[in-house]
This record gives sequence, C-alpha cells and structure tokens, in this order.
Amino acid sequence: MQLFRRSLNHLPLALVVGVGGLGAALTVGIWYYFSPRNLQVGYTPKQPIPYSHKLHVGELGLDCRYCHSNVERSPEAMIPPTQTCMGCHAVVRPDSPRLAALRDSWKSGNPVPWVRVHKLPEHAYFDHSVHLPAGVGCATCHGRIDQMDEVRLEMPLAMGWCLECHRDPGPHLRPQTELTNMSWKRDEASTVLAAVSVAAAGVRPPEHCTGCHR
Amino acid sequence: MTNDRVFWRSLEAKAQPEQARERATGSDVVKQSIDAPGLIRLRRRQFLSLSGAISALVGIGCSIRRPVEKIMPYTEMPADVTVGVPSHYASVLTRRGEALGVVVQSSEGRPTKVEGNPEHPGSAGGTDLQAQAALLDLYDSERARTPTLQGAPRTYAEVDAVLAELAGQLAASGGAGLRVLSEPSLSPTFVRLRAALAAKLPNAVFHTYAPVSDSNERAGTQLAFGRPLLVQHRLAGAQVIVALDSDFLMTETGSVEAARGFANGRHMDSAAGKQPNRLYAVEPTLSVTGSNADHRLSLPAQSIAAYAKALAAALVGQGISLGALDSELGRPELAGVASPWTLAVARDLAEHRGASLVIAGSRQPAAVHALAHAMNSALGNVGRTVVYVTPVDAEEPLHFPDIASLARDMAAGKVQTLLVLGGNPVLDAPADVQFKEALAKVPLSLCLSGWRHETGELCTWHVPQAHALESWGDQVSRIGAYSVQQPLISPLFKGRSDTSLLAALLAPAASAVSERDPYLLVKATAAMHGADDERRWQRLLQRGVGPRNVSQITLGGLSLQTAAIQSALRALPEAAQLGLDSLEVVFLADNKLLDGRHANNAWLQELPDPITRITWDNAALIAPSTAQALGVASGDMLRLTSSDARSIEIVAWVQPGQAPGSIGLPLGWGRKRGGKHALGAGFDVYPLRTSGAPHFTAGVKLAKLGTRYPLSQTQEHDVMEGRPIALDATLDAYREHPNFGQRGSPDPSPPPLWKTQDYSQGPQWGMAIDLNRCVGCSACVIACQSENNIPVVGKDQVARGRAMAWLRIDRYYVGDDADQPEVAFQPVSCQHCEQAPCENVCPVNATSHSPEGLNDIAYNRCIGTRYCMNNCPYKVRRFNFLNNNLDIPETQKMVHNPDVTLRFRGVVEKCTYCVQRIQSSKIAAKREGRELKDGDVVTACQQACPAEAITFGDIRDATSAVSRAREVDRNYALLAEVGTRPRTRFLGKVRNPNPEMVG
Repeated sequence: MQLFRRSLNHLPLALVVGVGGLGAALTVGIWYYFSPRNLQVGYTPKQPIPYSHKLHVGELGLDCRYCHSNVERSPEAMIPPTQTCMGCHAVVRPDSPRLAALRDSWKSGNPVPWVRVHKLPEHAYFDHSVHLPAGVGCATCHGRIDQMDEVRLEMPLAMGWCLECHRDPGPHLRPQTELTNMSWKRDEASTVLAAVSVAAAGVRPPEHCTGCHR
Repeated sequence: MTNDRVFWRSLEAKAQPEQARERATGSDVVKQSIDAPGLIRLRRRQFLSLSGAISALVGIGCSIRRPVEKIMPYTEMPADVTVGVPSHYASVLTRRGEALGVVVQSSEGRPTKVEGNPEHPGSAGGTDLQAQAALLDLYDSERARTPTLQGAPRTYAEVDAVLAELAGQLAASGGAGLRVLSEPSLSPTFVRLRAALAAKLPNAVFHTYAPVSDSNERAGTQLAFGRPLLVQHRLAGAQVIVALDSDFLMTETGSVEAARGFANGRHMDSAAGKQPNRLYAVEPTLSVTGSNADHRLSLPAQSIAAYAKALAAALVGQGISLGALDSELGRPELAGVASPWTLAVARDLAEHRGASLVIAGSRQPAAVHALAHAMNSALGNVGRTVVYVTPVDAEEPLHFPDIASLARDMAAGKVQTLLVLGGNPVLDAPADVQFKEALAKVPLSLCLSGWRHETGELCTWHVPQAHALESWGDQVSRIGAYSVQQPLISPLFKGRSDTSLLAALLAPAASAVSERDPYLLVKATAAMHGADDERRWQRLLQRGVGPRNVSQITLGGLSLQTAAIQSALRALPEAAQLGLDSLEVVFLADNKLLDGRHANNAWLQELPDPITRITWDNAALIAPSTAQALGVASGDMLRLTSSDARSIEIVAWVQPGQAPGSIGLPLGWGRKRGGKHALGAGFDVYPLRTSGAPHFTAGVKLAKLGTRYPLSQTQEHDVMEGRPIALDATLDAYREHPNFGQRGSPDPSPPPLWKTQDYSQGPQWGMAIDLNRCVGCSACVIACQSENNIPVVGKDQVARGRAMAWLRIDRYYVGDDADQPEVAFQPVSCQHCEQAPCENVCPVNATSHSPEGLNDIAYNRCIGTRYCMNNCPYKVRRFNFLNNNLDIPETQKMVHNPDVTLRFRGVVEKCTYCVQRIQSSKIAAKREGRELKDGDVVTACQQACPAEAITFGDIRDATSAVSRAREVDRNYALLAEVGTRPRTRFLGKVRNPNPEMVG
C-alpha cells in the first residue's frame, strides 16, 4: 500500500526549484534594496540649478570655504544659502535663464532643493571641522570637485573606507596650507612631512565605535 | 491550502477566500494549466506563491526604496546661527515661589536641553526635575492650539476683538463685575501691569490662588513681624537644621538652592574634615528631606505644632529665651514623643547659636511658622542662616480665603467677567468652595492656560497660553535677582502670555505697540531694574541675571510681635484624637507633578517617585502599623471619607516612615482633562480638600473597596540584605575607619580576569558620585532622559521591568523599624568597567571598550541577544523591547537631541558617559589646537545635579576634580569584589547622629 499519492513524486523537485527560486528572489530583492543608486560611487544626480564646480572652482578659483563656510567650525560643511550665490549673481549674469531657479528662491524665500550626493547614515556622526586641523584635504574624500561639472560621488564613504585612513592617517594628510588645493599631490619630501605632522599635531583618529557612533 | 493562496494575494482575499480562488483561477497566466490533473495543480500553486513573493518584494522595493535626500539650505543665513553647532540662551523658569535661572541649548532654532545658569542665585548651575522636564511640556502636542468659544474653535483676531470690547466696557464702568484670578507671580512686569489695571479699574477685584504655595509662610511672617516677608534660608552655614514638616530639599520653594547649600554643609573632604551638618526632620510622610535626615520623627501633621511648642519650651530650658513667649510654651513634654526629641535637639540647637536653623513647612499653620521665626531669632540665626526678603508682590492675599470669597461672589452672581490667567481652579480649588458650580453662574469667563483642561473647557473662552520657553517675561528670584525670560522658539501654537492679556485690557488697541508687546513691556521693566540702555539690556539677556537688588533683603532689625504670636498659638486647635476609624490625611505636593500642572508630562509620569518608586500613579501612603491594623495591603483600593461626607477612591500603598494614623495623599493626579498621559493616571485627591483645612485634616474614615489596582513600581526590592551597595557610616565610625567604603567589600581588588587594555594614551574618563551630597531628587534622571533621547514606555511595560532610564536612583530602607526607617539613595548608571563582563559575551561585538575607558556600544550592530544585559552585575543595560519611537507626534519629535542616535526596537542601550559631549569637547579642543582641560566635559547628570554630587573628568590627570574626588578616603567601587574595576566610584554617605539620641 502506498502511503503517499503518486502526484507527490514531483514534490521534492518542485520544492527545490521553488525554494531556490524564492531564495534567489529574496537575495536579489535584499541586495537591490541595500544598494541604492544614490550610495554608489559614480552617482551624479541632476541638481535643480546646473551649478558647475568646474567653472567656479576650477576656472574662477573660488576656495571651497567661500561657500561651504562652516567646514572649519561645525560638523556640517553647509551648502551655501541663496544669499551667497546672489552675492555675485545679483550683478554677474543677472538674467541668465539657467539661474532662474536661483532668482526665484531669492525672491520667494524658498530654499533651493539641492540633491544630496555625499550621504552618511544617520547613526554615523561625522564632523568636518575636526578633519581640517588634522590635515585632511577636501579632495581626499570628495575627489576632484574642481573638474566636475556635476558633482559626482567619488569615494565609497563606507565605514571600511574611513577606517583605512583612521588606522593609518599619514599617507592621506596634507599641510594646512594645501587643504583646499584640489590638485595637490604628495611628493617625496611631503611624505616625510606628513609622517612628522601626524605625531606632532597629535592626530589621533578614533578607531573605537563611539568615535563616530553616538 | 486555499488559505495559503489567499494570504499571498491580498488582505481582501483573506477575508473572502472563495472569491479569491475564483480570481486566482481566472488569471490568464494559469488558464492553460487548469485542465491538467493533480501534477499541474501543484505547479500552479507553486507558481502563484512564487509570483506572489516576487511581486511583493518588487512592490516593497518600489515603494520604500531609500529615497533621494534633499538638502534645504537657508536663503538668507541668520547671522548668529552656525548650522550643526548648538547655541545657548539664558532664560528663567519658575517653580513654586522661586525663579530658576536656566541656560537652554538651542539646536537649529529649537530648544533641546535645559541646564542651570551658574550665574543665577536660585540655581547656581543646578536644576530640578520640573525644569529638566519643561521641554517636554513645551513640545506636548496636546497643548491647546486655537482659542475656543464654548468649545468651538476661533481665531486670535476674534479673541483680540473680544478683549478690546471688554476693555472698553470695563473702562466705562470702572471694572465693575470684573474678577481676575491669577497664580502667585514673581514677575515684576505682571505685577506692575496688574497694579496699573487695578488703578484704572477701581471696581475690579484681583485674586491670587495656587493649590500649593507659600501662603502660610507669608502669613507666618506677617504674624511674627507685622508684614509679609519671604524667608530665605542659607543652609551652607547651618550646622544644625530642624525641619518641621518641611520638604525643603525637594518640593518646597527654593529646593535647588537649598540642596546646594545643604550638600555644601554636609561635605567632607576627608575623615579629618570639617564637621558636617546635622538634620532633624519631623514630618508625617517620608519625604526626600526626611530621607536625608540624621534623625527623623514621624508625627501626624496636626501634632507638629505641639512638637514645635515643646521644642521651643526645651530651648527656653536651655537658656534661649523667646521673650514674652516663654510662659506660653509650657513644659517640653509631649505625649508620644521621646524626650530626646525635644531636649537633645534643643541642646544641639543651643550649642550652635548663629549656625542653626529651624524651618517650618508650607503645610503648617502661620503660628508654627511664627514660632520658628521666634526660635531662629532667639538663636541668633537671623542674618546668618536665615534672611527675610520683601516679596515682589507685597499685596498677595492669603490664597484659601481669597478663592473662597471669589467663589462665593461668583455663586451670588456678583461676577460678570472672570479672567483665569494660568492655574486650574476647577480642579484644584478647595472642594467646599464649589468653584465649578459657581463658574456656571458667570456670564463671561476667559481661561488662559496651556492645555484645555478642567477649567478651560468650562469657561466661555479658552485661550492657549504660551509656554515659558516660548514667550517673553521676567522673574525676580527671592533675593532680588532680576532675570529675563526669553523665548527659545516662536510660540508653537501661537499662544498668549498673561502679561499680554493684561496689556490688552489696559491699553486699547489704538495705543502704542510698546504698551502691548510683551517684549517691549519686559524691556521697560528691565530698564526699571537697571538695564536702562541697549548695552545693559544685551548684557542682561546674555548673562541671564541682573545685579541683585539687595535692598529687598532684611538681615536683621526685625522685631517679633510676641503678643500676636501668643494669641495665634493659643488659637491653634487641639490635635484630634486619631484612631483607626478617625485618621488624619495630609495633602502633599507630589514629588514629580507638584500640584498636577505636569500631569501630561510623560517623563515625569514615568520617573519613579523618589520615595515610593511608583510610576504612572499616586497612592495613599499608609504606615505599616496602621495598614496592618486595618488589614490593608499595597494595591488595595480604598475609599476615604472625610468628616463632612466627602470621599475619594484611591489605591493604598504601605509606606515605611509614614506616621501611624496619618495618610499621605499626593495632589495632582487622576485628572479628567489635560492630555492622554494625565487621564487615568493616579487618583484625584482634591475632592477631599476643603478651604478650612487645606493641608491636613483629621476624622477621615477608611473603607476597603475589596478590589485591587495594579501599580507599576521600578524597584520592588527595598533592602540591601547585607551586601555592600549603598555604603554609609556614622561620623564616629568614619573617623575611626576612614576607608569604610573599601572595607565594606569582601575583596575590593581582585586580580583582573582578562587582559587589561592599554590606558596610557589620551584622556581616561571616570566619574565619582558622592552619596553624602546626593539628596535623591532625581533631577539627574530626567536630565539623562532629555539629553539622550531615552524613550517612555508606559505603565504596562514598566510593570514588566522594561523601564528605559539609563540612570536610576535606588532607594534602600535601612534598619529594623518599618515605621522609622533610615533611607539610602544611590544613583546607578553604567559603571564603564575596565573589565566589563558585558563586552565579552556579545556575539556580534556590538559593545567594545574604547581606549579612553568608555564602554562603547554601536547600536547598529546590536542584534538584541541581551546576553550583555544578563552579564551585567549592576543591571544597568536597557533593551528596547518595542519600537518606543513609533507614533510620536511631530511636535514632540522636536524634543530629541540631534547629537544622539534614536534607538530602534531590538537594540540594547545604556549610559555612555555622555559620549556625545565628550566627542564635542574633544573636537572643539582639536579645532582650537589645544588639549582638553578639566571641566570641558560635563555629563548631563553632573550638570543637572543641584547638590553637585557627581564629578566627571580625566582620571589620568591627577589634578582634575574627579581624580581628587576618587582619592577621598571613603571612596569605593560598587560590587568591587566581582572584579569589574568600574570607572565610577562612589563616596560613602556619612550620617551624623546626635550621640544623645543614639540607641
């Protein structure tokens, strides 16, 4: 006497296919969810105003701190208020159609909705102002912004990537005068300089959890 | 089988499975396989479940994929804002009769933390629980949002129109029929506007009422000196303090400053240090002050007057003459009180002339206060440990007769217009004045209050009141320090303040803005107090307090009106005979809610009461011997019926230290309106309170209802069982064995279990908590909750042991006598053990040790195993069993500190030594290119403590305050024999009993 119906002969195969398929679907789904485009290197979102760093920083020579002025004082480097842009653009190309959104913002008082490129998760408390006295230049984490028409995510900004520098900061530091110099390159002499400054400047990047996670 | 298919598809399908099957079989995709036998049916099911799963996943992915984040910068940057760095503004809050100067941290334009203002005499940098919890009151989403007329929403423009019309009518009639009821005020602006209004409308009558106030104190000084004065104690210089039913360390006015002074007087640097003070407390209910007393006597509140007389008589016996009162006092015997309590105490007082203090509490009648003033005078304490101050509002009437006369006039129809500026008389006016019924007879009533509560919903108009943190005002502290209350944020719900309402009546709409705008009104008052130009005004705002007006203080030269005191003492009623069928009830200002004004504050509700450790409820406090005689157990529901047939129902709580025959009833609970936390929490005891006996009354009958009521307590275990936990020693024992703390532990320094970490680099953080200074007020607990975004879990979860407070204050009873226990308090938070048992057992290494000595926790790694919680010998780790941050109203989210992560369900959390403050200070130091110095990092608990019991800092620096504190001879580590090597050291408590009264 058979205990199981004949039709159940296909059950094992069906289960393997089904579970395998389900597992694959789940894996794909979770992988897809945890890899949003806006956290991948190369992410270049469309901004509401076609602001070109290449023009303003690369060609005109604006220093990073002219606009991102809180970088030496605050955890956030700060996206400049419309007021900063209007400082020039009230007289420079005042009627340019590409700056219409800017003028609207100034007139109405509504902020310009910039799309965020460099995003850390909220449980990571990153502080810009402490990295500057240590000697970390803007280009180290943000890449060659002065060559970008549209800002692109250059570095993964993942915890492992941060720890690479935190565990051995020397090769990634630069003199205080070259912090905003995007094209600064390390040479033999400055390797020695960097090694000295790490010790002398008391650069002690935290490697423990609460250094960044509070 | 059918159900499986239904579940995958949709919720509607689950409800109607038959139709779901039809829908499923009707699908085009599977039509070709319908005719196949069993094999295909199986495949179809598989296919459907598979497709359902995929579509579900894709659907989830599409709808909740992490969105792109936008950055919204300013359009015009405010000059004084640095995004990401909080600013601080000085302001002032009031609690009862004292102004508390505060410095409020403002993050991105909203207040996020309240601290004490070190410059302000009322606080000297400390705060109390209500000031720390004020933020949650500000952001309470249940505050009234729009004015209402008979319950229907109206606009502020309509309110202004009504007030303008009223102003016109009143001006014509000279204010006939107008009554203004307000709370006692420390605001010179309010007082002068009210005086101006009184002058303009001579027929209007102004009343003052608060259910818990210093009315008896004023009556006492009026009796003793012929004019109403306020009493300011200077506890630091007092070596012997006698508290007559006075909870001066917790609920009485000026508790923050009193805690500071008391702790300073108590402080001992070493066993050879100066003599600490000695506190005698005589009270009906075990209070925080009584818990700190070296000797405590439980007496029913009605017997305190007799005790005061007996004490005074004993003083006379010691040669301290009270002048003409000597003959009045009789002999120092008091039936039922052991003679050392009069003779030995009097001797102690007499031996410390000029350095002693007798304090009468606000529940005691004026005669007792006057007697206390007479004793202080005779002891030479005036000008040394007690000074007298002219009040800001010199004409404030006595509250209970005042509210009674107002209610009488209202009931008689003499009141046409009633303005209630703050306060909640329908709830808290004495029951016999029948305020609620009288209010119905008033044609036009307007209530100004933050919540639309019991009074607000019965008045014609209700106008939302702006909170102290969002409106302009001013306060003068008791000793005359003038402070401006500046708003930290634009009024969230556009409320009005009491000054603006008075101004609206005073100045018709057409007059200058300077007479109606609260900011300009306050500025004008400030000019009268010395800030008469812009520079001085800015300096006042920045510093938070102006120069003290010492002319208000009277150091001496006051003559006692002995005749008046004599007749008042004679007029005191005889103490009623107390028995099991005729009990006394004492109406207590609740330790957390005071008179009920903070009933909707979830932080205060969830804070365990410092004495009973009950959360979310109040209870009738009954002495163990009385409870046993009556057959009452904790949790039994009772009905208390007074001699004039008023009754309340309340749950019983057996409280060691309660005077036998007396029942303590905390006020302010059992609200019917005022927010969801206020409702159903505790029991309303106001219905028993009458204007004739508002503080205590006898002749109350107790009946058990036969039902039980669940109470949520955080600490059920009240004794230390011989374990070395909250160590203490008498002064003599301390002098003999200065290191009694170390000797308490079987082996205070066992060898390390694991490899010790290298602590040679960088600051090493440590903490010292001085149990001799800690008074047990719990301000640190609320400060920690405010700083670290600690969630509130609710009564049910607390009952399951899931309270989330990182810092708890354990309260232990010491001694054999349940009716006269000694009490020990111990604040316990994460000890940051160098050999932490919690770190080794985490399977995902979520908790690790930082090279600076902190026990770190990375919330995102934690998977909620709770092995660490199990291994912690101090049980200081807390687990988020539920998502406690779900469904928080938008305004309430603003209370969160942006520097601290909000924890999700399934994550363990604990005290971090305020690592966000440590990191900010380190970053600031690096920014400025310097090293951290002692005092740069102040933890939230340390900053809030009014008694400065907590010290924190770098223990590698031998000169830091914390290093010195940890070297004090009475230091010990909690449960040192376990070998955890905690970074927090406790300094044992020193009790200072009177050798004559020991044994």
